[in-house]
Amino acid sequence: MSDINAVTTAEAPGPAATRPADASSAKPRSLAGDAWRDLRRSKVFWIAAVLVAVILLMAVWPTLFTSADPANCQLANRHHPAGGGALFGYDFQGCNVYARTIYGARDSIFVAVVATLIAGVIGLTVGLVAGFYGRWADAVLSRFIDIVLGVPFLLAAIVLARRFTVHETDTGVLAVTLTLGLLGWTTAARVMRSAVITARNQDYVTAARMLGAGPGRLMFRHILPNAVGPFLVVLTLLLGINIAAEATLSYLGVGLQGDAISWGTSIAGNGPYVRVVAGPVVWPSIFLAVTVLAFIMLGDAVRDAFDPKRR
Amino acid sequence: MTRYIVRRLLQMVLTFFGATFVVYALMFANQDDPYQVLAGDRVVSDSQRAALNAQYHLDKGFFTQYWYYVKGLLTGDFGTSLTGRRIGDMLAEAWPITIKLTLLAIVISAVVAIAAGVFSAVRRGGIFDHVTLVLTLVVLAMPIVVLAPVAQLIFGVKLGWFPVTVTRDANLYQLLLPALVLGTLVVATELRVTRSSVAENLRADYVRTARAKGLSTRRVVGVHVLRNSLIPVITLIGVDLGVLMSGAIVTEGVFNIPGVGFNLFRGIRTEDGPVVVGFVSVLVIVFLVVNLIVDLLYAVLDPRIRYE
Amino acid sequence: MPGKSRWRMVAPVATIALLAAGCSGGDSQDTEALPNSISISIGEPQTLIPSGVVETYGLQVLTSLFYPLVGIDKTNKPYTMAADSITHDKSAKVWTIKLKDGFTFSNGEPVTADNYINAWNYAAFAPNAQVTSYYFDRIAGYADLQPDPATKKPPTVKKMSGLKKINNLTLQVTLDAPFIGFETVMSYASFYPLPKAAFSGDGVLNKDFNEEPIGNGPFKMTGKWQHDQKIQVTKVPDFKGTVPKVDNITWKIYQDLGAQYNDLISGNLDVDTKIPTESLGSASSDLGLRLQKSPSSAFQFIGVPTFEKDFSDPRVRRALSMAINRQEIADQIYLGTQLPATSWVSPQIDGYRANSCGDACEYNPTQAKKLYTQGGGPAEITISYNTDGGYKSYIDALCNQIKSSLGINCTSHAVPSLSELVKDLQEKKNVGLVRLAWAMDYPLMESYLGPVYTTTGSSNYSGYTNPTFDSLVKDGDEAKTPDEAIKKWQQAEDILKDDMPVIPVMFGQNVYGYSPKVDDVTMDLSQNVDIYTIDVAS
Repeated sequence: MSDINAVTTAEAPGPAATRPADASSAKPRSLAGDAWRDLRRSKVFWIAAVLVAVILLMAVWPTLFTSADPANCQLANRHHPAGGGALFGYDFQGCNVYARTIYGARDSIFVAVVATLIAGVIGLTVGLVAGFYGRWADAVLSRFIDIVLGVPFLLAAIVLARRFTVHETDTGVLAVTLTLGLLGWTTAARVMRSAVITARNQDYVTAARMLGAGPGRLMFRHILPNAVGPFLVVLTLLLGINIAAEATLSYLGVGLQGDAISWGTSIAGNGPYVRVVAGPVVWPSIFLAVTVLAFIMLGDAVRDAFDPKRR
Repeated sequence: MTRYIVRRLLQMVLTFFGATFVVYALMFANQDDPYQVLAGDRVVSDSQRAALNAQYHLDKGFFTQYWYYVKGLLTGDFGTSLTGRRIGDMLAEAWPITIKLTLLAIVISAVVAIAAGVFSAVRRGGIFDHVTLVLTLVVLAMPIVVLAPVAQLIFGVKLGWFPVTVTRDANLYQLLLPALVLGTLVVATELRVTRSSVAENLRADYVRTARAKGLSTRRVVGVHVLRNSLIPVITLIGVDLGVLMSGAIVTEGVFNIPGVGFNLFRGIRTEDGPVVVGFVSVLVIVFLVVNLIVDLLYAVLDPRIRYE
Repeated sequence: MPGKSRWRMVAPVATIALLAAGCSGGDSQDTEALPNSISISIGEPQTLIPSGVVETYGLQVLTSLFYPLVGIDKTNKPYTMAADSITHDKSAKVWTIKLKDGFTFSNGEPVTADNYINAWNYAAFAPNAQVTSYYFDRIAGYADLQPDPATKKPPTVKKMSGLKKINNLTLQVTLDAPFIGFETVMSYASFYPLPKAAFSGDGVLNKDFNEEPIGNGPFKMTGKWQHDQKIQVTKVPDFKGTVPKVDNITWKIYQDLGAQYNDLISGNLDVDTKIPTESLGSASSDLGLRLQKSPSSAFQFIGVPTFEKDFSDPRVRRALSMAINRQEIADQIYLGTQLPATSWVSPQIDGYRANSCGDACEYNPTQAKKLYTQGGGPAEITISYNTDGGYKSYIDALCNQIKSSLGINCTSHAVPSLSELVKDLQEKKNVGLVRLAWAMDYPLMESYLGPVYTTTGSSNYSGYTNPTFDSLVKDGDEAKTPDEAIKKWQQAEDILKDDMPVIPVMFGQNVYGYSPKVDDVTMDLSQNVDIYTIDVAS
């Protein structure tokens, strides 16, 4: 029941202005139109877009990049150096590291993107509602966040893995995705809530309210665009964290399993041998890092383009 | 303000029982045969099962079990673990070291993230900005399961700068390496969020005003911008406690720290419901207190936010 | 309130928090640093009550706190330790145990026949829920201490009729049926005596006994069990039995094998009892001659659900066995620390015959494929394993081999814990193949054949049942001499060759290392460090 009342004090610094109305141009332009024009001119955006496209292509069509079979592992090849179709050598099970890294993109990207989307939707909704309405809504939702924070990842992962594993050969993609998505939204939600609390006390919101704007319009037209910045940053990073978290879950024995090939399982499986041969750990890590980089760049570019304050 | 805090404290009681209920339910859903876990390869006979059930009531339904648990809690008794230890003792032994460890990790990561975040926001696109981005990526791409053993090997075994493993009565220096490893889990997000909100605030009107009034950049950034940018960062620190706790499962294992993560891990593995619920209950109290402090800090940072 | 003063409010809170975190308790009394003191790694024991211990770590600690009636020598023959003599009647049904005089518990209590009788009755009485209760089921009257099988009513009798005190130093044990191996069985920890101080009432164990057990052994605890940290023991003055060479042992408790190894090579630990496979690559250069291997009794195998139609044909099971290249797994996955298993009992046991499995355990993909097709094996199999034991790479490798040998699809399936698998197997669910392992309780063939393969075996998860096999094992139990027993047991083992209820894969070894500070480190078949021979290097 947090009563968060806005009292604007005169001496307080803060972004006092509303979105400056662009009076100079004759034709009114939409925010999206402006953003797209900006994006098209952004080098960062194009680099990121190309990277993301390549990674997605890898996930959808791995045979385009390698003809080797990632599941064909011969112990006789254990830790053999690069050669033949194996650009990056062989890992401790005698699997082709290059092929596994390429094929690993699919599950890694799927898990990370879907889990991040789930977390994003829940986080946005909970954060926006709790921050905007305050009082009861905030009390209930915030305490709910506290409870979710308390649930250990490992426990939830085990329970979900059991509920969503229908058959022994199920690789557990769904369970891992749900675990990361259903437990990973708390950060996004609290960040969103804090940004909304800050934004809803701004003058322009008060002004809009005075002018008779309804809660929906206030939330989505006025508060959200100004509060979404930190939320987007958290979300883009969450993508990377989710790829890595899948590795940690694998290490704890509740991640992807069986025939699943992913960057996380490669990193966790080869981790103990990193002193002997580093390649099988380093290559998937590089792919992971580049993926995260692409999404960070994309996120930055998109956010900059949409930032109302930049106009 | 006082009324607000009192209200929040009252909410805590409800949340506490809510959390124990949720986690108890999860443990119940996960429960197969905890007695068998203890017996390993051997089969637990029916007579042993009957005797154990008389003590732990695992043959009863969920609500009966939960009722037994709550009844114990109300009399200040956290119950006994399946290995016969008093859970109250386990909590008292495990919590102090974990609190030290996470607090240290939080302080380190916050200092690094805020300093580096502010600097790279001020010099956006500069070399420092790019270097921090690359480091962020490296930290993100190294899961803690790889990072922790590697750090232990390099800084503990090879260089000998830090102790390899840590005991329950470790001092701050001994905890530094595990705390650094743990801190990497959250430092990336904190850094990027600091950078983004500082960059955003740098464009605000009041900065222009302050600059126009002739204030130095250092003062503008250090006082006005930073203060306005801290809200999302402080929020993060509050929630990151949760991330750190799950990270502690790996870190505490690698550095042999007998803390909360260590116990939670074993409790979940051995399907020891009361142990897990006991640890999580205390965990939830910690979250409640920390997030109350965070909410109060909002009002400190932004005077326009008031609580009644 | 102006902003600045609010900031000042926050600062002291943060400082206090930091200070609180910084203040740490002083070091507790540490005997590790004393001369002639050593540290040995273990994991957290489940309990230190002898009859409740089945895992290695608890057993290891108990070896220092207790002195068994009989020990097992290098050739697996029992010899008396706390017992002065152990004799039996002609049929090996009535056993008389005479105790050595002058032994005391570390609290000063003299050790008498009562201490044994009370401890064994405590262990056998069902409501006490002791895991090793079944060790006593050969003793007459054991059934009276169990719940009524029909009514499930708890037992009222608390004492086994088969235990009789002759005098203070003599006890007589009557078995239900003759059993020549009973002397060997008595080497197990469940047969340790308990002092009067352990009990708070008749047959009721003192609640705190587990935290600081009192034994009749060469060491006693200094202070309580520091859970997840260490257990410290110091020599008992004027010990009447074999006197160890070191004065103090710190059992250091680890959760992670990697941490344990790193502590060894950086000088914080003297004996690492289990070096992780991943560290073996560097271990020989890190440790040199201080890296050691010794046989253990562990036996790793793959359980096959013989009750399933897919696997009911023995040809399918033999084919799976022949599809596995054991040597390659031993070399590449275990780096030579495990040995290929081609029989059903450990090589360390009397009666073991190398390669009693014959062709069926030889790697032969062509023959395997033929047999598999003939037997009508399934086109897709799964091997389940528990993730809490580090078996992933082993099972993945096994699956890869089966895939390429038989041309079928093999999936490794991880489950969080063994209990889940065991439950499914007991309910005869179709879980496919399962990773299992067994270590002996006492060095007799029966300790493998009985529990794992007989119809009523306590750990027979394959659902294997063969009346001829059962009766041969029983014949061995009741044989007049050990040699005769072995003959019967070997005949039983021969049946396994044809039926293949489980697929033998690996025999375990202890792989351990120690610091330059210690010497004469040996580990026995049950993966325990010999605390009597270990010494500080001169």
